[in-house]
Amino acid sequence: MAPREREETEERERCITGIDGLDNILNGGIPRGNTVLITGSIGTGKTSLCLEFLVHGAIVGENSLYVSVTESYEKLLSNIIPYDFFDRKLIKDGRLVFIDLPVVYEKLGLEKLEFEFEEVNILVGAIGNIVDELNIKRLVIDSITSVCYRLKTQENIRDFILKLGSMLSSRGCTTLLVSEISPTEERYSEYGVEEAIADGVIVTGNLERRGDLLRTLQAVKMRGTMHSRAKYVLDLTTVGVLLVPLLKGGSIATAGG
Amino acid sequence: MAVTTEVSEKLSSLPEAAAVTLRMRAEHYFDVIRALLDVFSIKKSLDAIYVTSTIPSASIINALEVLEIRLDHIWFVDCISQIMMSPGHKHEHAVYVESPTMLENLMLKVEYLIRKTKDRKNLVILDSINSLAIHNNTKILSEFLHILVNNLRAKEAYTIIFSMEQYESEDIRNMLNLVSDETLQVEAEG
Repeated sequence: MAPREREETEERERCITGIDGLDNILNGGIPRGNTVLITGSIGTGKTSLCLEFLVHGAIVGENSLYVSVTESYEKLLSNIIPYDFFDRKLIKDGRLVFIDLPVVYEKLGLEKLEFEFEEVNILVGAIGNIVDELNIKRLVIDSITSVCYRLKTQENIRDFILKLGSMLSSRGCTTLLVSEISPTEERYSEYGVEEAIADGVIVTGNLERRGDLLRTLQAVKMRGTMHSRAKYVLDLTTVGVLLVPLLKGGSIATAGG
Repeated sequence: MAVTTEVSEKLSSLPEAAAVTLRMRAEHYFDVIRALLDVFSIKKSLDAIYVTSTIPSASIINALEVLEIRLDHIWFVDCISQIMMSPGHKHEHAVYVESPTMLENLMLKVEYLIRKTKDRKNLVILDSINSLAIHNNTKILSEFLHILVNNLRAKEAYTIIFSMEQYESEDIRNMLNLVSDETLQVEAEG
């Protein structure tokens, strides 16, 4: 087989996010089954990006699940950007599903504040069951930082993300894990483990340039595809997340992300 | 009226999705606006996206009302009202950028309006390169123009860049030559 042909046959199937700018950055979308960390400080657009990913999935017929860890999904929906392409029928038809993780904890009897190895297995198993039952192809956990808060040790966090990623990947489910970091953080996650295990890392941030604060996005890692590693400026609009390249002509001082 | 006819005729003779610099003197400003918004864009069934960093969109809208030009297919990206801290009410045909130094956000708002008006092709007017040059250095402004014009070309949109003759520097002329397919000098005939 000629090298070019081999290259083409080895190309991994993509999960087209539906966010044009991001799909271009990732050379066609996220390789299907990848677990991607969406990491950044508050107000940088992580949740909006993830919700749009799910809505587009639901529109093209891929069942999509949002697992909310800290705030109830009803509150989340009331604050969601009124996307032009969003139709509540997607929720009614079961294409777009929202679950509050604390409710799952309660059902599983996971009431301890600290999870051990056994609880990690129960939690991964429960998420797997939901994914199977609802035939989920796109999943967002918002935020993984809040889940990891209960896991305490780096070993447990590593174990949880590895098991979760491998379980979801085997089901062809593409997953975004939202990671919260403080604006001054030098690493990509609170515990320093998540980014090493995830297949991809997309960083959102705020960049201060001569007194202007710009929202930015940068794909720093994505297994299974060539991708841009440049920084882009993003805008959250009713037509979805829009991205343009960050201009480099001026003097730049970073402030978080 | 001569300027309006002259400009609209010159533009009509250009290929689709052309990037054009309109060099003018201040006294021709409103004639040029009329040529673009009341003649050319209507003739070509275009949605006009008017990027203003010179005067607030509210002032242009007032002028258009006086000239009896309908706003149905005219949209504004206003980069100057917020920096002036003007409390004026937000117009439904205008989106606002905090400052003319936020050139990426300016591009994002143009992109947003292109998507919102996807049924028709677009005419994007940049008013003006001189006022943007007050707030931005040449390097970043050149980069911005290069990306914006090429994006608009790919989207089959016309780009019209206003340049006021009396404020045009050598740097601005070079920048405009690099990105424009054509430079039209606006002068009243006779």
